[in-house]
Amino acid sequence: MTTTHVPATARGKAVARPDRPPRRRRREGAAWVFLSPWVLGACVLTLLPMAVSLYLSFTDYDLFNAPRWVGLRNYTQMFTEDPRYWRSVLTTLLYVVIAVPLQLALALLVALALKNMKRGRGFYRSAFYAPSLLGASMSIALVWRAIFNDGGTVDNLLGTGGWVNRPGWALLAVALLTVWQFGAPMVIFLAGLQQIPGELYEAAEVDGASAWRRFLSITVPMLSPVIFFNLVLQTIQAFQVFTPAFAISAGKGGPADSTLFYTLYLYDRGFVASHMGYASAMAWVLLLAIGAVTAILFRTSRSWVFYASEEDR
Amino acid sequence: MPRIRTRKSWEPRAAKSWKPRAAATALALCGLLTGCLGPDGSGSVGGDVVLRYTWWGNPDRAARTQAAVDLFEKRHPGIDVQTSFAGYEAYKQKLATQAAGGDAPDVMQLDYRMIDQYASGGVLLDLAGQQPVLDTAEFEPGLLATGKVDGKQYAVPQGRGTETMVYDTEKWQAAGLEPPRVGWTWSDWADAMRKVAAETGVPGGTDPGQSEDAFEIWLRGQGRALYTDERELGFTADDLTRWWTFTDELRREGAVSPAEQTTQLDGTVENTPLGRGKAASDVNWDAPASGYLALVPTGISLAPMPAGEDGTPGQYFKPSMFMGVAADSEHPEESARLVDFMLNDDEAAKILGATRGIPVNESIREDIAAGLKDFDKTIYDYQATVEGKLDPPPQAPPSGDSALQTTFQRDYDQVSYERMSPREAAENYLTEAKAELRS
Repeated sequence: MTTTHVPATARGKAVARPDRPPRRRRREGAAWVFLSPWVLGACVLTLLPMAVSLYLSFTDYDLFNAPRWVGLRNYTQMFTEDPRYWRSVLTTLLYVVIAVPLQLALALLVALALKNMKRGRGFYRSAFYAPSLLGASMSIALVWRAIFNDGGTVDNLLGTGGWVNRPGWALLAVALLTVWQFGAPMVIFLAGLQQIPGELYEAAEVDGASAWRRFLSITVPMLSPVIFFNLVLQTIQAFQVFTPAFAISAGKGGPADSTLFYTLYLYDRGFVASHMGYASAMAWVLLLAIGAVTAILFRTSRSWVFYASEEDR
Repeated sequence: MPRIRTRKSWEPRAAKSWKPRAAATALALCGLLTGCLGPDGSGSVGGDVVLRYTWWGNPDRAARTQAAVDLFEKRHPGIDVQTSFAGYEAYKQKLATQAAGGDAPDVMQLDYRMIDQYASGGVLLDLAGQQPVLDTAEFEPGLLATGKVDGKQYAVPQGRGTETMVYDTEKWQAAGLEPPRVGWTWSDWADAMRKVAAETGVPGGTDPGQSEDAFEIWLRGQGRALYTDERELGFTADDLTRWWTFTDELRREGAVSPAEQTTQLDGTVENTPLGRGKAASDVNWDAPASGYLALVPTGISLAPMPAGEDGTPGQYFKPSMFMGVAADSEHPEESARLVDFMLNDDEAAKILGATRGIPVNESIREDIAAGLKDFDKTIYDYQATVEGKLDPPPQAPPSGDSALQTTFQRDYDQVSYERMSPREAAENYLTEAKAELRS
């Protein structure tokens, strides 16, 4: 704003000088103007609530009365006195281990199939991507519940009874819902596949490499940064799974706690049992755990992720 | 599950357009910035009082509530009431979240178990200050007092309810059973469950093992209580083990619903085995039982709850639900007016019938008694059969109990899916309950 009324002499100077500091300052100012909604949002909607939640995690807070400082009690209670907490940890880990690899494998498989498709690629790409758009919604989870309920479609077709009503199967039903939403990683895989130079395949073919050999020796290494990206992203998402389990088990994490995911138990402690302090402590442990898992993934990635630029060094 | 319907969301009235295309952007901006341009270009909706009124219940209650609210709006043209409702579990969670965020609805339906927590947390308005518009003179003093905390009237009871065994009349007769009478015992009940299962091929009823309410009635039938006067647990792990062993055996025999169905219970009648046509009876409060009518085409009847083996009744009358006003409502007087209308207006009473229990306003109860129709009459007659034969209600449960209801269900899941013995689950429950009540 102020820069529009710069005196003529100053303006002339600025144009004359090659490094142009005033204009840079002007650019920075503009950047801040455009960033301000985001910065404001980040402060008010993210950083402040995080700070409050960190504080609450050291208190006993029932939503209605003022928080009472209890030090580390929420944390010690979580780790030593709450068997349901550990059940939720195990359930979540089991889910991550089942859902993420299955989802990525399927995404890669479909991406490979679509890569060389000549006609109808756009249609299939949209069709496979659609579930990802709908995925997080409550309505899809409710439809899922109807399909896997006793007397539902799966029950009628396979005669296996309702999956969501059986402790051994409910987790699988939730995992399938996630796997089905493989559209986002699929699109990223597709983009990655198109970056791989065709000459590599041609050369390999000339050398008599089989399709499987080409996949293992060319596709996987060349695609490894994309695989890694998807793995990290989907793992982080999987740790925070909530909606499907909430809808499928009517908010209880049932049957018999078999879909009591970490976030669901967190919600239960906070909003059903009114122990906001405890729920906040759980949220912070989850944050640290996701951070740790991501760090481990990055550490291991050094041995298997191949970046083309490394070649030049 | 979370069936949440908002009748009408208030939106700024669209202005009659000038030139359509040119006006489009301007209109959007106008709507955003001022939100108030009326058809004449000056009128403002902002002058209207908008009240939010939330409650839990079933579609039958929804239809009647809406009709009553429409009448209220007609009588008070300046007041616009937005209603929304959900199943009990979803409602409970949503309301707690709203209240904590300082965004409690102006008028809310409350349960006996919520009063203590909400009143002591400063969410509810002391209704004594609204005396001029909210008249409680016609209320039974005893029932009215159940809405008091520390001597202040934070909520007003809306109706009187009691538990009942709702049963599919046709299946019951097909099994060759007589309608149950006051004083039948839990062993009589168990025999009936077995007989229905044997004769009709469907379980006799919902497995009551998951229900803290049913357990309380069973416990009271033995002269015990859920909570002592000191607000501690009034029973031992042995008691709970006996109850769960009793229900678990019936489940194994197929006399009550299997775990797969019991686990789906969420407080709505639609998800009960009786509502889904997979059992012949259910234990529920009498007011929501009207919801079964639409689900069981062959007809339902209400029976008293079983008593202890020596005839001690466990069942009791309790205020079925309350109405309260938010402490920080911008329109406390209009809110109190709505509460008064729902509880004291003759025409509203006729519309509402017994959908929230038999009214507690005594003259209204007498007025509507003769005119009650259909299921309302069934509830009225049912209450008359147990009138004078029940013990007085327990005092309001301590606030931790709200979470314990869910814990009770979860722990019983472990029993019905055969992952724990009744003894293990009972001991788990007691540990959790003690921690919950201590904090």
